[in-house]
This record gives sequence, structure tokens and C-alpha cells, in this order.
Amino acid sequence: MATSLIPDPFQMWREALTKLEGNANSLVTGSMDSQELMRSMHQLSALSLNMQQAFEKAIGGYLARVNLPSRKEVSELAAALQRVEDKLDRLLPDGAGPAAPRPPRTRRPPPEEAAPPAVEAGTPTPAKPARRTKSAASRGRRRS
Amino acid sequence: MAEAATKEKKEKPPEPVLAERLRLEVERAVQRSLKGVELFAAPPPTVGRTAKTVLHRRGTLSLYHYHATADEIYRVPLLFVMAPTNKAYILDLAPGQSLMEFLLARGYDVYMMDWDAPSDAERDLKIDDYVLDFIPDCLRRVQQDSGEHDVTLIGYCAGGMLSAIHVALLPDGPAKNLVCFTTPVDFSKMELFRSMADAKVFDVDKLVESVGIVPADLVRAGFDSLRPASRIAGQLRLWDNLWNDEFVKGFRMMERWGNETLPLPGGYFRQTVKELLRGNALFQGTLKIGGRKVELGNIKVPFLHVIAQYDHIVPPECAHPLVERVGSRDKEEVVLPGGHVSIAAGANAVKRMWPKLDSWLQGRST
Repeated sequence: MATSLIPDPFQMWREALTKLEGNANSLVTGSMDSQELMRSMHQLSALSLNMQQAFEKAIGGYLARVNLPSRKEVSELAAALQRVEDKLDRLLPDGAGPAAPRPPRTRRPPPEEAAPPAVEAGTPTPAKPARRTKSAASRGRRRS
Repeated sequence: MAEAATKEKKEKPPEPVLAERLRLEVERAVQRSLKGVELFAAPPPTVGRTAKTVLHRRGTLSLYHYHATADEIYRVPLLFVMAPTNKAYILDLAPGQSLMEFLLARGYDVYMMDWDAPSDAERDLKIDDYVLDFIPDCLRRVQQDSGEHDVTLIGYCAGGMLSAIHVALLPDGPAKNLVCFTTPVDFSKMELFRSMADAKVFDVDKLVESVGIVPADLVRAGFDSLRPASRIAGQLRLWDNLWNDEFVKGFRMMERWGNETLPLPGGYFRQTVKELLRGNALFQGTLKIGGRKVELGNIKVPFLHVIAQYDHIVPPECAHPLVERVGSRDKEEVVLPGGHVSIAAGANAVKRMWPKLDSWLQGRST
């Protein structure tokens, strides 16, 4: 789109959102150094977990009384059935005939990339320092 | 001359850019309304479509073998180890956005260790079980299935850490090469996770004893708290881009993956909090797995570590020491622009990480 002297309010909104997100993340994560905040966070999460457990226990008790399985039990049964099906699939011969032959393991790399740094096992040379590379694209680029 | 200029000025339509912009925004607003309604009723996006066979399932573990698509493949198979917190389909989101599909097309034989929610019977699983049981079991099955002794081990995030610990403890095992993506080593640099795990504010034993399996909501909340505003901002961006089918598709796949964060076995969680986050034992060299000290210097196989420059979960300074510690002569670290997930999945990964991984593996897979 051609440039205009009139600012694009939608683009401004998008930029503001990105900025606001960054600032809010920094603000909240910055305050996580506070032990009080962390303690409160854990207390809140423990409370929520306890409530959830109590609720699940109550529902589980009710379902047991009316002889119905819980969702978790049905999922576990489904997973067990899936495992049996997978094992049967592997044991039973394929209806389409014998398994397709696998491709040969003879592939070679293209000539220009065939040679990794050759290091002979047991060669008593000192260890090379690690190669550390930063891609050209990573230099001077902002978050992607 | 002045007359000609005035005439030209008169012929120029008034602010075509503004008119065009308004038309576009009205069009998008209509699309947003229509597609917003569709979105509520839409089923979850399909992911992980690359053809594969389940080779083995045991509790939380699934081992997949992806079907080769090349006529000729490299001798050494690849075994991916996913982090136990997340599903592996992040590496196989959709055709054209799948590292699995890319590697198959480039002639590799690919296997994947994926995880499901652990059962109650698995509440006491520890890092030891992943490193000394699940990984060796899968390596044996890959050897048996492929008929090859050598295997390249590739781990993502905590999967990289488990793979590195495995190779450090069993340096004479079948791992011919080791590749890690965004793998944490120096946990003292994970400042937010460390303050969340601080013994003064968090009683991990009490939590693990009360729940057994650490719920997925809690694990997800831990990740979300590193960027607390991003979930809301993401929803606003989704609304803004509702007219754009490609954006919505990509967003929903990533959202599904984030929402399907896995619960963790209490034993694994306790060990991560106490020994890695509080004790920084892997970095300090004091971590003991199966009663043996983990020395990263024992890793002698060719080694590649891919680090994400803007990773907020495993910051680069937390990952850098790995390449310094491993004892391999053939070792390399690459820092690529991207975040913890976009380094491996998404448009940037297609352009940067995947070709780099392919070029590194080619000569080491024969």
C-alpha cells in the first residue's frame, strides 16, 4: 500500500498492542522477584487445586453411587483399547498384502556437503574449542 | 505552467490511499463477523498428519515411525525425543509446516518419542526412568526396526536435556550423533522459574504428595506466567486477523498445542524443581541419575546445539554452557533468530533451522 501523510489508526492500534504487551510482560515478570507475590501466587494456585480436587472427588463419589464411569475412567478405557488396537495392527498381516519394501539405506549427501569435519577416533589431538555461530539473519534483527 | 500544475492537481483523486484503506478495513470487519461465528463452531484443527506407524506404546510413552517418502534414505535413522511437557506434533503441524515431512523428503528415516498424560501408576516416574529406561528401550526398538546399530538422537528442550544425560551416562551406546534444540543446562539463568520454585515460597513435596500427577493447568500456568500478557494479546491479534484464513489456521494450531500441555509425573517434577532449578545440579556437575554422576564431558559423539536468540523459556545464556561442557571434538552451537517454539516450527524454522539441521546431518548420517 502506498504511503500516506494521514496516519493509519489500525496500524497504530497494532503497534500499541505490541508495546502494551511488552510493557505488561516486563512489569509483571519484574515484580516476580517479590517473595510475597510468589507466595500469594502459589497459595492461590494451591487453593484452586484443592477446590478442583474436592469437586472431582464429590462428582466421582456421585458417579460411583449411580454406577456410572467418570470421564477419566472412560478416557483410560479408550486409551487401553487404542493400545490393544495398535498392537493388533502390528501383529495382524496387512490386508493389502506383504509390507511395502523399505527404501535402501544407501543415500549419500550431495558432494559439496559430504564431508563433516573428519576426526579420527583416538587421535591424540587436543579438543577443538566449540564452534559457535550466529546466523547472519540473527545479527541486528529484532524478535521474530 | 502554473495552470498546468493546477489542472494536474484537480485530476488527482482525493486521498486514494485513505479510501482504499477504509474499503479494506470495512471488508475485513465484515469478514471478521462472518468468520468469528464460524470459529466458535469449528472443530479443533487437524495436526500431525504425516503418515506414521505406532511402533510401541507403554504408559506415557509412544514411539512412532514416520513412513519414508524418499526412494533412497540415509543409513543412520533419527530418533527424536520430545519434552515430556508437550506433544510432539509441534514438529508436524501441517503439510508444508512439518519438520517431519521435510526430513522425510530429504531422505531421513525418522522415529519419534512422544508423550501422553501419565497415568496414576506413573506418578513416581523420575528423570532416571526417562533417561535409563524409556530412551534405551526406544533406541533398541529403533535398532531392531531399522536394522541399523547407529542412531542419531535429537532432543527438543527438556527432551534435549534427557538425551544429553543419556549419552553422558552411556557414551558407548548406539547414539552416533547428538542434536539438541533449546536445551537448558545452567538453570541459574532461568530466573523466573527459579523464583517460582524457591523453597521459601513453594513447598514442592506438599504439592506432589497431594496431587501425585502435577496437573496440566499448573504446568501451563508456569509457562504462561513468563509472559502473562501474551495470551490476551494473542486473542486480540486473532480478532484483528480473523479475515486472514492462513493466520487463523496457524494461530489455532499453535493454540491447540499450547492448550494440550501435558501433566507431569510428580517424581519428575520434584526432581526438576529440587535438583535442577534449586540445586542447578546439571551445571554444577552434581546431578546423579541411577546413582551415577552426570558428566557432560563424557559426551564424545558429534554434537549440534540449536539455540533460539529470543527464547523466553530457555534463554540463550541458560543453553550456551552445553556446547562448552560436552567432550566431543566435532561440536557446534548455532544461535538463530526466533523464540522457543518458532525456532522449530513456523515460517522462520522453514527458512533457517531446518536447512541447517539437514546440512549438519547429511554428512553424519551415512
